[in-house]
Amino acid sequence: MALPARLFDHVRRPDWSPYLGGVVLGLVVAVSMGLFGHRLSGAGAYQHLSGLIGKELAPRSMYWMHVVPTGFTWDVQVVIGAIAGAFVSSRLAGTFRWRTMPDSGWSEVFGKSVALRWAIAFFGSMLTEIGGGLAGGCTASLAVSGGAVLAPAAFIFMMGMFAGGIPTLALVTRARSR
Amino acid sequence: MTLSLPPLLIGLAFGVVLQRSGLSRYDRIANLYRFRDLAVLKVLGSALVTAALVLQVMHAAHLGVAPPIPSTFAWGNMLGGVVFGVGMALSGFCPGTVAAGAGEGRLDYVVPGLAGLFTGAVVYGLLYDRVMPILARAAHAGTLPELFHIDPWLAVVLFAEIALLGFYALDHRPRESVQP
Repeated sequence: MALPARLFDHVRRPDWSPYLGGVVLGLVVAVSMGLFGHRLSGAGAYQHLSGLIGKELAPRSMYWMHVVPTGFTWDVQVVIGAIAGAFVSSRLAGTFRWRTMPDSGWSEVFGKSVALRWAIAFFGSMLTEIGGGLAGGCTASLAVSGGAVLAPAAFIFMMGMFAGGIPTLALVTRARSR
Repeated sequence: MTLSLPPLLIGLAFGVVLQRSGLSRYDRIANLYRFRDLAVLKVLGSALVTAALVLQVMHAAHLGVAPPIPSTFAWGNMLGGVVFGVGMALSGFCPGTVAAGAGEGRLDYVVPGLAGLFTGAVVYGLLYDRVMPILARAAHAGTLPELFHIDPWLAVVLFAEIALLGFYALDHRPRESVQP
């Protein structure tokens, strides 16, 4: 088969090769950074929306007055696009389904309680956003976008991610499987 | 403010990639931290190398704009990374994959995921005035080639070669040996 046809075959599969995903993600990052001057960000959107409550809680905070832009910013629109993209993509693949729990890997360790899953999901999700703030970016905006311009910050951040993630998961897995 | 096409399309492609690569799956993220599923590492690594090469070509051809360089402030990058990693290993989320998981109907991403990100952003905002002036005091916006005074082309190509060797090694590693 000719290369374009073979590539199209790969693109139509519901589960992509990680290298196909990586190359497409890399092109998206290059367009975002090199044509528009924006890092590709997952975490930024929530920082830009946080002023909605933050300005009420701390009206004199430097952060919401001068540091982050507020409102319907580039990053917020990227996240809206990402939700739409995953929706279209999963509908086309036939994998879209409303569900309250992860498909696999969770119940084996943490049990079937939806309340526990949602509580840990909330707490963990909150930590990623705080950590992303402290580090100056998330997986997309620091590790990949920063790594693409060979910023030392990206590689220090990735070391931190593993230094935090590996022992955490090992500890909770061991504690739960007793 | 108004909707504009570029960020929406960039987001759209971002969402498609995350969804099709399975990065919006809990087990895939959790097993990264157990070194049992390295797909995340392969996606991130090949994205990083692809973007680095394309940006370097664009720079050499005087195309586009100067890409933003994230600031390096080692203690903050590291501490933030650790907190991020703890949260990611617990929830199986990173901020971008919460959007992707929400789009494919995962309610643990829609409800506690989005609420957690928003709450985290507010908490970080409240901490900012006290924490960041200390943490980001020595921030600078250099890149590795600038820091070590090497040619950016050399750095990018070297980096791509190391990544390709790494991918090759990962995909051709010997089957797990019998534990003593």
